[in-house]
Amino acid sequence: MMILDALLQGILMGLLFALVALGLNVIFGVMDIVNFAHGEFLMIGMYTTYWTSVLLDIDPLFTLPVAALVGILLGLASYYGLIKYLLRGPAIAQLFGTFGLMLFLRYLAQFLFGIDYRIIQKGVLIGKSLSLGPFIFDWTKIAAAALSLLSFGFVYYFLHKTKLGKALRATSINKEAASYMGIQTDQMNAIAWAIGGGTVGIAGGLLANFYYVYPTVGLLFVMIAFACVAMGGFGSIKGVFFAGILIGIIEMLFPVFGQQIGWEFLGPHFKFTLVYLAYFIIVVVRPQGLFGWKQ
Amino acid sequence: METIKDALDFRDFSKAERIGLILFTIFLLAFPWIGTGSFVKAVMIQFLLFSLFGMGWNTIGGYGGQVELGKAQYVGIGAYTVSLMMVWWKIPFWVSMPIGVLIAIGYSFIIGYPLFRLKGHYFAIATICTSLVLQDIFINWKLVGAAKGIELPIHEHPDFLYMQFKSDTYYYYFIMVFFYVALFYMNRFRKSKLGYQLRMIKDDEEAAESLGIDARWCKIKAYTIASAFVAVGGGFMAVYNLYIDPYSVMDLDLSIKIALMAMLGGAASLWGPIIGAAFLVPLDRFLGSWLGGYKGLIGVDFMIYAMLIMAVSAYQPRGIWGIIEQFRRKGK
Amino acid sequence: MIYLEVINIVKEFGGLVANNNVSFQIEQGEIIGLIGPNGAGKTTLFNCIVGFHKPDSGKVTFKGKDITGFKPFETNREGIGRTFQIMKVTTGMTVLENVMVGAFCRTDKRNIARAEASEILSFLGLEGVKEYHINELPIAIQRKAGLARALATKPELLMLDEVASGLNHKETEEVVELLRRLNTEKKITLFLIEHIMEMVMSVSQRLIVLDGGEKIAEGLPGEIVKNENVIKAYLGEKYAKSH
Repeated sequence: MMILDALLQGILMGLLFALVALGLNVIFGVMDIVNFAHGEFLMIGMYTTYWTSVLLDIDPLFTLPVAALVGILLGLASYYGLIKYLLRGPAIAQLFGTFGLMLFLRYLAQFLFGIDYRIIQKGVLIGKSLSLGPFIFDWTKIAAAALSLLSFGFVYYFLHKTKLGKALRATSINKEAASYMGIQTDQMNAIAWAIGGGTVGIAGGLLANFYYVYPTVGLLFVMIAFACVAMGGFGSIKGVFFAGILIGIIEMLFPVFGQQIGWEFLGPHFKFTLVYLAYFIIVVVRPQGLFGWKQ
Repeated sequence: METIKDALDFRDFSKAERIGLILFTIFLLAFPWIGTGSFVKAVMIQFLLFSLFGMGWNTIGGYGGQVELGKAQYVGIGAYTVSLMMVWWKIPFWVSMPIGVLIAIGYSFIIGYPLFRLKGHYFAIATICTSLVLQDIFINWKLVGAAKGIELPIHEHPDFLYMQFKSDTYYYYFIMVFFYVALFYMNRFRKSKLGYQLRMIKDDEEAAESLGIDARWCKIKAYTIASAFVAVGGGFMAVYNLYIDPYSVMDLDLSIKIALMAMLGGAASLWGPIIGAAFLVPLDRFLGSWLGGYKGLIGVDFMIYAMLIMAVSAYQPRGIWGIIEQFRRKGK
Repeated sequence: MIYLEVINIVKEFGGLVANNNVSFQIEQGEIIGLIGPNGAGKTTLFNCIVGFHKPDSGKVTFKGKDITGFKPFETNREGIGRTFQIMKVTTGMTVLENVMVGAFCRTDKRNIARAEASEILSFLGLEGVKEYHINELPIAIQRKAGLARALATKPELLMLDEVASGLNHKETEEVVELLRRLNTEKKITLFLIEHIMEMVMSVSQRLIVLDGGEKIAEGLPGEIVKNENVIKAYLGEKYAKSH
């Protein structure tokens, strides 16, 4: 029963992880750049929701459009202010550049908001839970999972059904061919960053409903996102969705599993260690991703 | 013998560089007698320590061109080996430090073997992962003090064997010796077969392989050398600070700083990591103590730091030494 | 003993057949040209021999030894050298240093490597540019530097990927002259991919023609120009019929 419970909780978290990883993978697919600041984008999404809901005294769920907007602007600003210039340099400079962005945003948050852990106290769903027989689910998590799924579906639809989305995917499959067909790479890059920022902004807003907000919260989630991306295959949208869910399950299931067989090292402290290990093992053994999907 | 001659041979450098090296050495030797305060001395020790780290990173990161962001785990291995052996068995520094280096070498082989199947982003993230895993283990491992860390026993009298001194001056000279060993080693390394092969791998790995170079093996060797360097510094950190915990010696920020200093100064050059450390360590320290004094300014030092990283990456990825080299070539 | 033998090499990339059952032999001391239209699978074939790709099936033997699936550095140690059409240069390595890297694969000593590199550079007439970075040099010199680098590994068989592309007439003639000297003076067997027909006809003793991943002809240059399959491949079906 505990295992089934962990499985279900894992799926709920996993949907959110998938949304976090989605933007990272879209950017990677289109431009072959790993955005280390992705976790900090999430953190800013979380702060946006926190402050909007606290200062304006509105329910955190209604702040999601604000979080999305902030995310999109942040993505665009990062692209036009930094990434464009990094593209001229070697890969090592690109990695360091986004690393710099990560540190900057993290310490900007620390400077502005201090190192305190904050959590939203008021909200329609906060503190309420749904009992289904022996299982108890927090409404905030259910909402987060449902809205994650919705956002994911929306982006998926955009990428596969709209003209702009198709152009974006064409760029990610073959940059050169796409530019021959008259697709402007620069514009596509900017759109990828807007999607990346927007989706992770929403994810941050959803996460802020039930998770502490603090300046270094991003690191944890960016590592999870990296693991999702590695597992699902760099650049694959479908892959990252299932990988997110799988990692959500691993993260919830292993501690329970460990407790049952009495292995302390699988305890809750280690659940993220497992995620890091999962990344390492997957990329070494199967660099094309666990499912081997390409777009 | 020839190895030592090679290490001390700076003939291919310009006159300005050789004079610079001599003046720099004189300055370092005389520094504790100039009569500066303990704060400045501590900054100098940090500078020498981070130069040592940076020179180590430079083998794999600079010459080999691999984005290595997990050096902190080797600082941790060096520091924990020295601390634990001292606390548990009272083993002196000069025994435990080399053992720490050996452990670092062994560990880096085990990690390096799978790690160097990877390239580019995959590799960079994987190096972070390995370091985070080790940090997590130490944070949770009660036997080694978990998150609380370890305090080293303080000896009443100065003790060379355990590297315990009342005055920072002694620490200063010891780290200076390590620094020069590293400098001479790197001077030989850059002219060695491995050094040349790594630079070729950085330029074009396919071409390097077609020239008979086993790229993966070369990278593993360089990674191991880097880890050994860093573990020496880690051991020193333990006896110098007399206290370590997983956050101070294994943090991701430390890994980044090490790589950043080498890159800012100019990767793949002998002076790069030293210039980078000379620039960033004082900046870091002074900003920290200066801005840290004002309560509202927590984190501003890191923001300035981060802006520097972004600016260098965007405008001059070859670092300060890269700019100097460019001017020199133009002058020719 | 057969010098280099390629037996039924097949290589696919995601369903696309790049090499289909290619077989041929090369004798020691020959100069062989590998020609074919764009996308014929020439570079893939090269890569299968030197080990950048592992063929899906088939076999490569060199001096009687099975070298199928060897890594590039291993085939190099067996005595197969290779040049590239494009030299990627990002870090500041000089021409001399580049050639020294090649020489280092036979020695650990810097002085020996330097001496060997200098010797090769003077053989190729490149002493004057040895302190330059490769990207500071014109393309013809870059090619020669690439050749020098490969020669420094002391290959018995040298595989050249379009050494003459992008060169003008005079430069091409120089390269041809150089290749002949390598063949006669240094006794190196040469195997070259080439687009420029004129050049490959004049330098090669024998030609192998690929089209669509398959070998369509093999023989003396004089025979190849008259071969109907080759004319078809190069000029299209129509042209062949009207003649």
